[in-house]
Amino acid sequence: MENYLANLGVLICVYSILAITLNFIMGYAGIFSLAHAVFFGFGAYTGGFIALNYTSSMFVTLPAAMVVSAVLSLLLAIPTLRVRGEYFVAASLGLQILAVTLFTEWKGFTGGIGGLVGIPPVSLFGTEIFRPTSFVIVTIVALIVTIGIFHLLVHSNFGRSLRAIRDSESAAAAFGKNVPVIKTVSLAISAALAGMVGALYASYLAFINVESFMLDTSVLIMAMVIIGGTGTQLGPIVGAIVLLSLPSAITYLNFLPQSEIGAIQQIIYGAGMTLLMLFRPGGIVGSGGK
Amino acid sequence: MTETHTPEETHEDKEVLMELAGLGRSFGGVKAVDDVSMKLRAGIVTTLVGPNGAGKTTLFNLITGQLARDTGHITWLGRRIDKIRPHEAARLGMVRSFQDLRLFEKMTVEENIMTTFERSPLPRITTPAKRAERREFIDRILERCALTDKRNTRASDLAYAERKFLSLARIIAAQGRLWLLDEPASGLDPQSYNRLLGIIREEVQTGVTVCIIEHNLDIVIGISDRIAFLDRGKLLADDTPQVVLNDPKLASIYFGER
Repeated sequence: MENYLANLGVLICVYSILAITLNFIMGYAGIFSLAHAVFFGFGAYTGGFIALNYTSSMFVTLPAAMVVSAVLSLLLAIPTLRVRGEYFVAASLGLQILAVTLFTEWKGFTGGIGGLVGIPPVSLFGTEIFRPTSFVIVTIVALIVTIGIFHLLVHSNFGRSLRAIRDSESAAAAFGKNVPVIKTVSLAISAALAGMVGALYASYLAFINVESFMLDTSVLIMAMVIIGGTGTQLGPIVGAIVLLSLPSAITYLNFLPQSEIGAIQQIIYGAGMTLLMLFRPGGIVGSGGK
Repeated sequence: MTETHTPEETHEDKEVLMELAGLGRSFGGVKAVDDVSMKLRAGIVTTLVGPNGAGKTTLFNLITGQLARDTGHITWLGRRIDKIRPHEAARLGMVRSFQDLRLFEKMTVEENIMTTFERSPLPRITTPAKRAERREFIDRILERCALTDKRNTRASDLAYAERKFLSLARIIAAQGRLWLLDEPASGLDPQSYNRLLGIIREEVQTGVTVCIIEHNLDIVIGISDRIAFLDRGKLLADDTPQVVLNDPKLASIYFGER
């Protein structure tokens, strides 16, 4: 039971970080990306690859994952962020599909469809951290650091520039904001931290394959942001908690036919999301109306 | 227009801040701005008048790089600026307002103002002295625009006149040398537009050059040092108010008796 809760805690922290990083670009920069799982995935494969072949030190795997994901985000940002929002959504969807193929086929780096197996646990100053109960502390620290970074960013002049761009791109430019550069930088920051948590995730599970980084993961992260409250600081965390606890909560409802639990879960998700968007379009934490 | 003026009347003693030479732009065969040449001199208020669709806003968009021009060039303080993007124009000191305001709707009044004078987007550590100075600067702008009580109100929650003044407050905060104001007075009550004129006059005193698009003739008369008359993309006149307003041909175009 202890391990079960710790495991759930790790997942909540991991997905909270992913949702926070996506919320940063969705809620504060107005960039809707359907490729967030790609940055998560590249971070995971980079971390896993380095841990398997070189060192499992956190001080190597995490920065490497951050750099790889950030650089990758530039490939998406530079050609597409100059154009209007809809094009970016389409381009990010394209990247997501492309990345799944790459994850499946690039056997030397990703292990192909079988994935990377036997990734050593992450080590911190030479101590290996593998028990869920100790790993949960690592992810909580990572979550707190992430919250801190984005809190500072959002409330600095950088955050104001971003929000100004979200509210009116042309006015922001007319007041001296270099819109493409600011958007690109914010996407790179977001991708870097998604990559970082990917590396943590890989070392925690010891096994990763393409299943974790497909379109449904990107959609799930986006759902967490929207359900929790886009553009709020607490929203993404609330969204991650709700969406990750729901499946486990449902299994405790004994009166439900166990064989149909998957379908029931989908119905609850779908109905919940529709009702939420009807009555609280700003999300659970958000300010209600538009 | 062959009347002669003294140099003071034509403002030729003033430094040329910006010169437009043969500016043109077409949209699908329609010449929205057609070979416009004019000088904007430092500390002078020029009003752009003309019927709807004359190309006034398009001219602003060409000046600030919002739109690319087909022909002509612009000189800023004697230096030719060829290709310019809006944020670069802003950094040179050209600030503009929009007819539809384009406020940062989900940000507070204070944040709207702050973001326009923050030059670098890089996060910076500010000292208490700097912060106090910044606060004073914002306080003064809020006071002049009668927005002191609204400091923490979101832009989207402001009333109409307050929104117009927030648009102006952003311009003041940006501390530019050239103000391009797109119908700043439309829909304002007399008290508000007196306040607006007061602010513009004060800024001009400090050397700001202003170019205003305006339809209200009272305001045009009340504020203009020069009037530039645009019709169908062409600059028909650019002269002192007396000359332009007394030209019967221009009046008939303006009042639609073509």
